[in-house]
Amino acid sequence: MLFSVSVLIFVVLRLLPGDPVSIAIGAGHRGVGAEELDQYRTESGLNRPYSVQYWLWLTKIFTGDFGVSYFSQEKVLSMIGGHLMPTVELTFTALIAAVIFAFTLAIIGATWPRSFADRIVTAIASLGMAIPTFITAIILLLTFGIWFPILPTRGYMPFSEDPIENMRLIAMPTMTLAFAAMAPILRMLRSSLGDAATSPWTRTAEGKGLLWPKIVRKHIFPNALIPTLTVVGITFGRMLGGVVLIEFIFAWPGIGTLMVDAIFKRDYMILQATILFAALATIIVNFLVDIAYGIVDPRLSFKNK
Amino acid sequence: MRIIDKEKNTLFRRVLRKPLGRISFIFIAILFISAIFADFLAPMDPNELDTVNIFAKPSLHHLFGADDLGRDVLSRVMYGGRISLIIAFFASLIAMSVGVLWGFLAAQIGGWIDDVMMRIVDALLAIPIILLALILVAALGTNVAVLAIIIGTILAPATARLARSAVISELQLDYSHAATVVGASRLRILFSEVLPNTAPVLMARAVICASDTIIIEASLSFVGLGINPPNASWGSLTRTGYEQLFNGYWLVLAPAMIILIAIWSFNTLSDQILEALDPRSGA
Repeated sequence: MLFSVSVLIFVVLRLLPGDPVSIAIGAGHRGVGAEELDQYRTESGLNRPYSVQYWLWLTKIFTGDFGVSYFSQEKVLSMIGGHLMPTVELTFTALIAAVIFAFTLAIIGATWPRSFADRIVTAIASLGMAIPTFITAIILLLTFGIWFPILPTRGYMPFSEDPIENMRLIAMPTMTLAFAAMAPILRMLRSSLGDAATSPWTRTAEGKGLLWPKIVRKHIFPNALIPTLTVVGITFGRMLGGVVLIEFIFAWPGIGTLMVDAIFKRDYMILQATILFAALATIIVNFLVDIAYGIVDPRLSFKNK
Repeated sequence: MRIIDKEKNTLFRRVLRKPLGRISFIFIAILFISAIFADFLAPMDPNELDTVNIFAKPSLHHLFGADDLGRDVLSRVMYGGRISLIIAFFASLIAMSVGVLWGFLAAQIGGWIDDVMMRIVDALLAIPIILLALILVAALGTNVAVLAIIIGTILAPATARLARSAVISELQLDYSHAATVVGASRLRILFSEVLPNTAPVLMARAVICASDTIIIEASLSFVGLGINPPNASWGSLTRTGYEQLFNGYWLVLAPAMIILIAIWSFNTLSDQILEALDPRSGA
């Protein structure tokens, strides 16, 4: 899978019109001759056939060398490293917030089915599914940045330097991302909780005299978690897409900003590496979800196969 | 053929009979009409500069306010709808034709060709849609036709998967076996028996494609890689409004709300089609 993604990315990127060489050189100096362009092409290997370029790139990845940015001459790996923390920080706070909110709301909805509260929960879920991330971001920006200016609108501050400012800055991007990530989890959890609560085994548990909290903990929850876990995996892919736009809107110096920047500059090396990272992250998360299945539902663990 | 036509008719009526179906259909109709007849309906010329009314607040004169050059935001949103909806229409058309053909072929041929075709779909679906769109747009440019083709292509794989599974389940039903027994050719079964029966599901998917296209186009234009000023789509209007955030909330709020209404209407209409198709699935 990772391999097919890598071929796909490479082919698509070579289709880009506009040549990184002329952009990289043109940005630094004026009046460069054709000879210097050729020299730069030879140095960076851009004059080689595409198949050779792909092979060189692929073999170097296995030694941990993702190449050098055509633009800043900085190592791609260290550039990604420099932009990784803000993105990881944002994604994880948002995922945690999304899971907490989704669980709380789903439990409220499932405890009082078809009540007014349940209707609101359903409405929040379908709104979250439909609303594009940048519109959530704009509504939050208007609310907390303009009408009630209590939060800063753009920028980033490392937690180690100023923890309070860091939290104030992360609040809006996190809410935006969490709202988008929460909806599919909430929808799936609410419906599977509902299914589990009306199932025969729950009636049996009630019939043998178990207390309701224990039924919820031991019977309803484990059964409702399995389909929800799948959705968490899928949600992660949605979040990776959403994070690009959110970082752009809130001037958050993460991988997304790096990517958008690289697209404007035609910096293939950075683009290839970031998308490969995104695909890798998705695959790792799905792997973790597979492991979690075994923990939640012993029938699905590898030992029994 | 007559029976099929009648069925389509009742499906359409069943959708319109429900309040949500009717509301979403009316919203979509209003959006299309105001975009198509913007020349007659728009209160002002969308490009007319008016130095007196720079950043005018929403009022009876300017319902949605005026922008940094005094242009009427309502008129600009109506004209912007032209580009957004044209892209939505053609991208869905492309996604449906490519995807349905892809899925039908995979289902009909089967074997290792089916496997290869579906693995390609899997690889395409592994990359987040927005990332794929950003890269393709950077590669191929940003005029309306190219955007429609790119977005249509991105939405095709998921359509192909849906079409394939729909065809496979239809082919297992008695009537397709009966058609085979009678001696109908494979192509004939596929296009005159299976296609009409999968039509409502595919129609619901086409409506979802339109909604996805609006989201993708708006996101791209918002980042600055879609429709660029002075041309206006809903996305690029939102972008302009976002840049002027501190000068007036109406600049960004009006196009953003229109996008939201459009997406909600398309999603709801699609849900209603599926529900009307199978009354048991509706909760």
